[in-house]
Amino acid sequence: MSNLLASLTAAANSLETYGRVLETAQNNVANASTPGFARQSLLLYALPFDPAGGVSGGVGAGKLVAMRNEHSEQAVRQQTTELGYQQQMVDSLSAVQSQFDISGNQGIPQALNNLFQSLSAWGATPSSQAARGTVVQRATDLAQSFQQASSNLYSQASDAEHQISATVDSVNQVVSQLQGYNRLALGGTRNDSGLSASMHAAAEQLAGMVDVTSTFQPDGTVSVTLNGGTPLLLGDRQYKISASLYQPQEPPPTNLNSPALVRIQASDGTDITSQTTGAQLGALLQVRNQLLPSYIGDAYQAGDLNVMAKQLADRVNSVLTAGNISDGPPPVPGVPLFTYDAANATNTAASLAVDPSVTPDQLAAITPGPPELSNGVPLALSALASPVQSADKINGLSYSEFYGQLAGRVGTALNDATSSKDVQQSLLSQAKDLRQQYQGVSLDEEATILMQFQRAYQASSKFITVLDQLTQATIDILQ
Amino acid sequence: MGTPALVERLMSARQQLDFACNLLARPSPEALESCSSVLEAAGRQLAEWQPTFSQQAGNAAALEQAWQLRRSFVRTSRLLQGAGDFHLNWLRLRGAITGGYTKTGESAPIMHGSRISLRG
Repeated sequence: MSNLLASLTAAANSLETYGRVLETAQNNVANASTPGFARQSLLLYALPFDPAGGVSGGVGAGKLVAMRNEHSEQAVRQQTTELGYQQQMVDSLSAVQSQFDISGNQGIPQALNNLFQSLSAWGATPSSQAARGTVVQRATDLAQSFQQASSNLYSQASDAEHQISATVDSVNQVVSQLQGYNRLALGGTRNDSGLSASMHAAAEQLAGMVDVTSTFQPDGTVSVTLNGGTPLLLGDRQYKISASLYQPQEPPPTNLNSPALVRIQASDGTDITSQTTGAQLGALLQVRNQLLPSYIGDAYQAGDLNVMAKQLADRVNSVLTAGNISDGPPPVPGVPLFTYDAANATNTAASLAVDPSVTPDQLAAITPGPPELSNGVPLALSALASPVQSADKINGLSYSEFYGQLAGRVGTALNDATSSKDVQQSLLSQAKDLRQQYQGVSLDEEATILMQFQRAYQASSKFITVLDQLTQATIDILQ
Repeated sequence: MGTPALVERLMSARQQLDFACNLLARPSPEALESCSSVLEAAGRQLAEWQPTFSQQAGNAAALEQAWQLRRSFVRTSRLLQGAGDFHLNWLRLRGAITGGYTKTGESAPIMHGSRISLRG
């Protein structure tokens, strides 16, 4: 009778254990969409069994463990960082590209075409006051287009600064959130699946913003370091980062009063900008500190927009001043048309203007020669549209081609970033799928999967090499 | 071969690579095995057709299709690389977890399946 009772008790205990297994499964299903949640499993163990001694056996419930694979979590974070970078590059470059119109219907290209047309018309009727007036008006329009383009790019730089500042704040905020979770873990709630899910979700969010390594520790806390090694969170201690504008001093700047750069500093003031190359923050810094200065300048470069404005203004002025307004006697020499801030190489486009004291009848049309030409100056200036001599070119290109190159640089970078973003989205979804595949798989099963994978991967890799050559050769043949 | 036929062939090769991409988005060993057959078929077709491509040199429509094919290839290649990196890194980690390191400092080869590693 006692054996029968013991058996019934064992059966009841086993049912209770299986009930807990079922609850675990239900909890897994309920949390299937919870960010950062990993499937949990209840460890079971056999109870002692000795019928002769009245020990009835059965099954007992052990620890509840999360079937989380940190390797796959890290892979997802890594792909999230890459996607954060490409996504931000696409957003920022789209905004910059909208400032460069290459259709010729607006902005600098249109103003340049209009000026060249007005110069041709003046060449046909060199003494016409109306044609001279149109030249002055078109030159004013061109100067305003340069000012507008410069102002728009400065606005982009300012937007990027705000975004960098906001991203740094968000980074500090998420790290502070993780600091709170670490405190809970250190307070004894280390095996809480909800806490672990929140920590992993926050670490994933952080990975999209900044290039960090999040290491989950045996004590249940997470350590966060920038990829150059600067700590952001260790245990319950947070190290905040900050963003600020600065003018580099080493090597000594060649352009004083140039647009400042943005730097990121660690909590001890160390400059960690060079460690911040990935994710959203890395892309913003790339656009703010590298791409935009290539147009508007910085401490060491004038910027291509300023170079173009200066060279065009200098060339037009030199042709005009080499000509005569009248052949006299005595001959009256021409006057320069454009003015700009010559003291600051990074301010040329922003300050380019037509000298307000110049009137249409002060435009020199005569080249003294010999032979003297009554329309030599307008002809020489209209030749800037399709230059032959190197003095009329900028870096070996016409002004329109040079501008096209500036615009093309952003366009190419945007195309590359868009393709990379698309691929990166696929890679992130692949990494998330792999994380799903590996969660809850036993070590034994996993070993078999890895062996199968290795064989299949090797087979596919062979064909990738062949396809690389074939697809490239197809393009080469069809070009 | 006319332009439509060439464009169609390039499109067909691209569709095969896009199909391989879909398989690689969920890279189980089974998906990868199917993927290698798809890649092999795409490669075989391209190699067969390539001698006829030179007749269409300079054809803008065909060139555009060739670039799209190349982009699909780059995506396929990156996804295969992504899956490869993930598994090979995990293979090394698993080897080190279960078998430690070899005398030369590399991860031990992974224990064969159907064996259980117990730790006290």
